[in-house]
Amino acid sequence: MTATASEQAVLRCEDIAVAYGDVQALHPTSLAFEQGKIHVLVGQNGAGKTSLARVLAGIIQPAGGRFWIRGVEAREANVQLIRALGLDIVHQRFTLPPSFTVAEALELVSARKYAGAFYSHRRLAASWLGELQQAEMSVSPNARIRDLPIETIQSLEIIRALAGRAQFLILDEPTALLSPGGVESLFSRLRQLRDAGVTLLLILHKLREVMAVADTISVLRAGRLALPPSDIADVSEQQLSDLIIGEGAAVETQAGETGSSVARESKAVNLALADLSTAPSQAEPALAALSLAVEAGEILGIAGVEGNGQRRLVDVLTGLVQAQSGAVRLLGRDVTKLKHHERRSIGLRVVPFDRIAEGASLALPLWENVTIWNAERFRQSRFAPLKIGAMKAAAEKALEQFNVQYESLEQPAGSLSGGNMQRLILARELADSPPVVIAAQPTRGLDFRATQYVWSALRRLKQDGASIILVSSDLDELINLSDRITVMRGGRLVAEFAPPFEMQGIGDSMIGATR
Amino acid sequence: MSPWITSGIRIVAPIALAFILGFVLFASAGYDVGEVISGLWQGALAAPGSAEQSLRWAIPLAVISFGIVITLRTGEFNIGAQGQILLGGFGAVSVALLLADWSPYLVIPLALMFGIVFGALWSAIAGVLKVWFNADEVINTLMLNFIAALLIQWVTTGPLKDDATRGETASTPRVDQTFRLSDGAGVSIELIAIVLIAAALAWIIIERSPFGLKSKLVGSSPRVAAWQGLQIKRIHITTYLLTGAFAGLAGALEVLGPSARLVTGATPTLGFTAIVVAIVGMLRVPGALLAALFFGGLQAAILFLPIVSRLPSSGLRIIEGLVALLITAQFVWLRRRRNRRQIMKDGEESLQ
Repeated sequence: MTATASEQAVLRCEDIAVAYGDVQALHPTSLAFEQGKIHVLVGQNGAGKTSLARVLAGIIQPAGGRFWIRGVEAREANVQLIRALGLDIVHQRFTLPPSFTVAEALELVSARKYAGAFYSHRRLAASWLGELQQAEMSVSPNARIRDLPIETIQSLEIIRALAGRAQFLILDEPTALLSPGGVESLFSRLRQLRDAGVTLLLILHKLREVMAVADTISVLRAGRLALPPSDIADVSEQQLSDLIIGEGAAVETQAGETGSSVARESKAVNLALADLSTAPSQAEPALAALSLAVEAGEILGIAGVEGNGQRRLVDVLTGLVQAQSGAVRLLGRDVTKLKHHERRSIGLRVVPFDRIAEGASLALPLWENVTIWNAERFRQSRFAPLKIGAMKAAAEKALEQFNVQYESLEQPAGSLSGGNMQRLILARELADSPPVVIAAQPTRGLDFRATQYVWSALRRLKQDGASIILVSSDLDELINLSDRITVMRGGRLVAEFAPPFEMQGIGDSMIGATR
Repeated sequence: MSPWITSGIRIVAPIALAFILGFVLFASAGYDVGEVISGLWQGALAAPGSAEQSLRWAIPLAVISFGIVITLRTGEFNIGAQGQILLGGFGAVSVALLLADWSPYLVIPLALMFGIVFGALWSAIAGVLKVWFNADEVINTLMLNFIAALLIQWVTTGPLKDDATRGETASTPRVDQTFRLSDGAGVSIELIAIVLIAAALAWIIIERSPFGLKSKLVGSSPRVAAWQGLQIKRIHITTYLLTGAFAGLAGALEVLGPSARLVTGATPTLGFTAIVVAIVGMLRVPGALLAALFFGGLQAAILFLPIVSRLPSSGLRIIEGLVALLITAQFVWLRRRRNRRQIMKDGEESLQ
């Protein structure tokens, strides 16, 4: 970065760092963005992109460093203050209240001052109609947010930010929920804004989109700046892909082990999907005619940038959501119509995506967290009381088997560290050696040792003949554990890889890059 | 400090504070606080027959609060006990009046059973609306209270009207003496035995049944429960049935016990006081029993106080409300503090 460039910069950061507890999400990073351009920031999940965006928008306090917006230092993490300095953010998940009308929602969250002492329905609508027309939007100010298509809601978020006179607009993964046509019209709108002098910072995942819209590109990798803002013309798609994934990323020496299923004779298929389709969820695309099969003693890795249907996939596999069409087969039985508890009783277990919100109840004691789900096991007959002693003994055995460090069975699960809480979840789900397991992001946020532990537990289970589906956004993890890797993009399985795995190819397929 | 002592302090301190605030209020309104305190003491324990009166009110409060412990643990704010009591009383009184010439050995169990079933079904209305239509249970149970009150008004002025009464309040005829579980004072070995049996049952349901443990998991984190295959709808419906069953039993006991008939506008706030009883009892059965004794005493004093002091009985309702307010406020405060600590811990989770 030359001195002149940082003088022109509309936004300048010096040594901005973000830490969550002991985890360093963003190492001290300095960079500057010039005015009137579309800047794009890319990187894998957990690379620190969103952390940086949240600091700039005043949502979180950085662990260190300073930054200036149009030459004025932003001294505290305060969204209102940052807005007053002319910077605003459009989040990946939208913030407009669904039950409000367009005018009400815009008024509620905008920084604009309403002219008049009292609100009137008509004047409110009239005052926003101008803004809407200026943005060439045909939506009525009296339409309810919840009735609008996603593209429109996103445009409203942008209008909301611009009505606050934002000069610098951050968009966090703005294309994640849009259809291809929606992406194109978003980009042309962003170009108009740029030509009007607004500076934009986009966080994107798909290389094709980066190439289509960016003026400059920056790359974050593992919390460090791998590429400072550079002119897009100077960077090739392949260079970018290498920068995002990490060049010569160690394809670990596990290759021998994963490849060891020499000349696999055809074994029993424990879990299979045939032509399965679902409705889209709020955050993810629909699954479209998806088929896969996992044999006994096999780990199938599902790679993909988050939000490409992985959650939906796990939802239908577990029975938390019902499929629209197609079939799910579990251990030779058609379980398409069965609920999660019924699939569990056949032999399915799941390690959920989010251990805090889905994995364990923080308030309940350890032993209850392990044993409640099949408490019926601990009574002699339907009307006999539960044997609490037997439940605690079973919990103790499972926790010890999975090496959970704890002081008392009565301590709440919330008092465990992240690694220990994940072991508790493994103890609950894996202690009875289930034949079919779905492990969703099983090592997210865990340190090295805890990660190794989870990996070895999954390997052991596989050697005992279990079928495992491993959903992860960590390529190292997938390459280390999987016998096959399938890449998911836009609700479809787009490519399958066999060992020896080539990280480059998987990475390209995840982001849809072509070479 | 032992956890029992800390949680003991967390319960006693707000109660003490509520009384102090109440007394300050009475004093500033010109009442003689000494007189109020002595009235409280006499009304709850000291005056002849007052201890029995305290027990008489503790009985329904305890039985209702068991059901409320269950619903609050599951995370459902069912505040319809008031209406469920009335339906329970209606069920019991109907059996006792319609089968007047049957043997008491048949009629009494049948009347209790009808009380339980009527209460449970009344509560299940709100449960079904919540589970299948996601209709807010606070509003629905509250509205069902009003509907129940009007229903009882119709019953006592229509089909089951007592022609002998000339008073202001309509009521059903009196239940035959042989069907009754106590005299007008409202305390008897039979009633106490039924309360203890109900307590034991509630304890087993809450602490020693799969339903009890699962409902706690559903109440503390429904998403976690769903990922473990818990049948949340079924647990919710069961919760509503049980809450209504206990309230219905309390209503039946009133009709077969002290009041001997169903009166329009009877027992106006037992259903709400029982919520405070459950919370003060730390959502556990033994705690609720103790708390019921305390609030039974307060209820007796509320009825006694106007006799010896100028303070109207609504004055003591203020104290009751303050207890509920302070204890709930403390829960919220504790949760906030815990959340704040948790946020630090979860920081890594938001890395995505």
